[in-house]
Amino acid sequence: MSELRAKAKDFDSRLYEKMQVILPSIGDLELYEFGYALKNLCPPQGWDSIHPLPGREIETLVSQRGFYEAIHTRRIAGDRIVLDEVIQRLTQMLIVGLLDGLYSVDWVNEHFYFDIRAFLFFHRTRYYTDEVLSHFGGKPALQFAAKQRQLEHLQEIGYREFSHANAEIDQAFIDCVVKLVSARGTPILITLAGPTAAGKTEIMARLLAAFAAQGKRITTIEMDNFLLDRDIRGENPMGVLTSHFELFKQCLKDIRQGKRVSIPRYDFINATSSHDQTGILKPGCTPLVVEPADVIFIEGNFPFQLPEISEAIGIKVVYLTDDPIRLKRKWKRDIDFRKKYDPTFFVNRYFKTQFLRGDDCYAPQMRCCDIVVDTTGAALWLTPQIAAILDQS
Amino acid sequence: MTQSGIINNPTLFSETLFEKMKKLCPALETLEMYEFNYCMENVVPDTGWDLVKIEPVAAIEKRITDIRFYKSIQINKKTNGSVELDTQVADLTRTLFLGLVTGAYPPEWIDAHFYFDPRGFLFFARTVYFTEKVKAHLRGKPYMTFEPRQRDFERVQGVGYKDFKAANKEVDKCFIRFVQKLIAHKKTPILLAIAGQTAAGKTEIVERLTNSFTSAGQHVTSIELDNFLTDRDYREAHGIDSEGKQALHFDLLQQALKDITQGKKISIPRYDFINATSSHDISGNLKPDGVPVEVEPADIIFMEGNFPFLLEEIVDLIGIKVMYLTDDPVRMKRKWKRDMDYRKKYQLNYFRNRYFKDQFIMAQIAYIPQLEVCDLAVDTTRAAIWASAEFATILDAK
Repeated sequence: MSELRAKAKDFDSRLYEKMQVILPSIGDLELYEFGYALKNLCPPQGWDSIHPLPGREIETLVSQRGFYEAIHTRRIAGDRIVLDEVIQRLTQMLIVGLLDGLYSVDWVNEHFYFDIRAFLFFHRTRYYTDEVLSHFGGKPALQFAAKQRQLEHLQEIGYREFSHANAEIDQAFIDCVVKLVSARGTPILITLAGPTAAGKTEIMARLLAAFAAQGKRITTIEMDNFLLDRDIRGENPMGVLTSHFELFKQCLKDIRQGKRVSIPRYDFINATSSHDQTGILKPGCTPLVVEPADVIFIEGNFPFQLPEISEAIGIKVVYLTDDPIRLKRKWKRDIDFRKKYDPTFFVNRYFKTQFLRGDDCYAPQMRCCDIVVDTTGAALWLTPQIAAILDQS
Repeated sequence: MTQSGIINNPTLFSETLFEKMKKLCPALETLEMYEFNYCMENVVPDTGWDLVKIEPVAAIEKRITDIRFYKSIQINKKTNGSVELDTQVADLTRTLFLGLVTGAYPPEWIDAHFYFDPRGFLFFARTVYFTEKVKAHLRGKPYMTFEPRQRDFERVQGVGYKDFKAANKEVDKCFIRFVQKLIAHKKTPILLAIAGQTAAGKTEIVERLTNSFTSAGQHVTSIELDNFLTDRDYREAHGIDSEGKQALHFDLLQQALKDITQGKKISIPRYDFINATSSHDISGNLKPDGVPVEVEPADIIFMEGNFPFLLEEIVDLIGIKVMYLTDDPVRMKRKWKRDMDYRKKYQLNYFRNRYFKDQFIMAQIAYIPQLEVCDLAVDTTRAAIWASAEFATILDAK
């Protein structure tokens, strides 16, 4: 018994050293705190029962949708939601493989990041594919000092530190949008897409304030209002078939002509639209009225790259923050402050959706948007066309 | 703006509250207004602030010092599978928020009776551990004090062990020195018992004491009181509370403590926590398949357990009785990190309910009574060490 315990203790302390190379802030924990966290991951038959796959196979595994689609976010055992086995197994393999020397620290860091609070490895989503890079002419238009690096050692990130780190890139982005709007003229539609907790709401508020200060009339349209009843669309993501697409196209057309428009209203509590499937107002329902405006922001994760609407949109932006930073922001915002989710459900879902969402929403939008703001890299990416407009103005 | 104006204006209510709360709880200063509003989403009553009642301060004071209030808190009530925050716990914070905003409760009064835990986003009643009786037993004032460095924790939401250890550095070092001096005076073998609240830092200080003895060439061992528990089936069948001597093989415990303090090797019962059975039958005989715990003679024997000083028949066998205490707000912050973030041990509301309930009840039934009879009390939060008259005299000697 004591021999087993000594062996377990030795495992803990060797891993504790190794993990500090992967992530220096592990050193903020005492060894025994590290041991507490590790205990939840230790398989019932001991660490010897874990057989890590070769690195190549792991790479293939984590780059396939099926791997993420199979994750159960809400499986219950006893009276608690449990961590998905696939997620647990991945970290177990990485831990054992790291200690056995099967995986190098560099390889692990290249493909994964470790989140202390979850005490798990997560796959790094690759947002900058070759296609995206070539769309933006291979390099960012503006590059600042990447101050989010200073947040890497923190276990939790509040908005104050976050906005402080982004001060330069955010200002450059706002200046750029203001210039583009005066070059292109109003009314103009602007879309701002980006993963959860990237900082969309906050930057949107600042953009609105910048235009309001110029005396421009501003408004926002929430894409979710165009959703069909949930009974009709099921769990499918926002798209042509799950929304009042014709009404949406008409709305974009009218508002660009400076007209007052009337759009569907979505009731989040009952998950129903004010309009029926054919786009006619249901009896007893009231639509939303959007007053004419100079600058119209469209909020939500709609596939704006669709050719039928893409041209109606004056400026298409993707606002990005790296996965590890967003996860830390969400721990504070959604778990500590809002107490919105069960932490295990939250971890399962983040692991699952960061990949799938990237694949479904952000990758396609990045391939065709006008501007990418990368807050973590402190880089502003502009398409050659947009860069040319800005150069002239 | 009139009072009803504030109550019916959520934005103004929130802004006024935020300003006042930052003064009561400096950790909130790191939040942006909108983050504070996120926290408020769980607190704002569905029916608005209109229906929340301002209670007279005397009524609140009476309630929070009455053990029945805490006993009535339901820690594990579930709706749709998840544990609810007890309504009394939730309502107390609402009442205090409202009174703070309207000015019905002065901030000084709130601060005197409550502390606000920023991560739980709740007010908890402050427990008074050093009652008049406790102070009288411990000569009315601390024997030694240092700079209270835990004050920095007021500005954070969670406390990890490294920061905790660093803040307690001086008081811990002095405490270890005192214990060494007392042992030298009292001679070995000696029984040393350290009691204290959950997350006060007991495990860590015992480990450091052990290291200091071992490096001085002394032999150290420990006896866990829990090993003396009788079969749970028996206790439940006879309605025996798990906290008194009736729950233990008490004769065996008394004999074991006598023997080990005379330098003898002892063989004690072993309690199996998984099956909740003892290695010994109820008359104290080893069961046919039972395997006892063998404890080799040692110079210093740590006694581990929650209520060691409350067992009258054995209390005189304990050479040094120490209470190791940390204030409730700091322990809560340690538990957020240790028990919630690292160990992932509890559901959020179960944890909040239980802490609210237990901190008061445990203080009354376990810690205050033990403080009244202890030899040394370490208060890590105020960086103070208190001593009984007898022990102060020993420490005074050259």
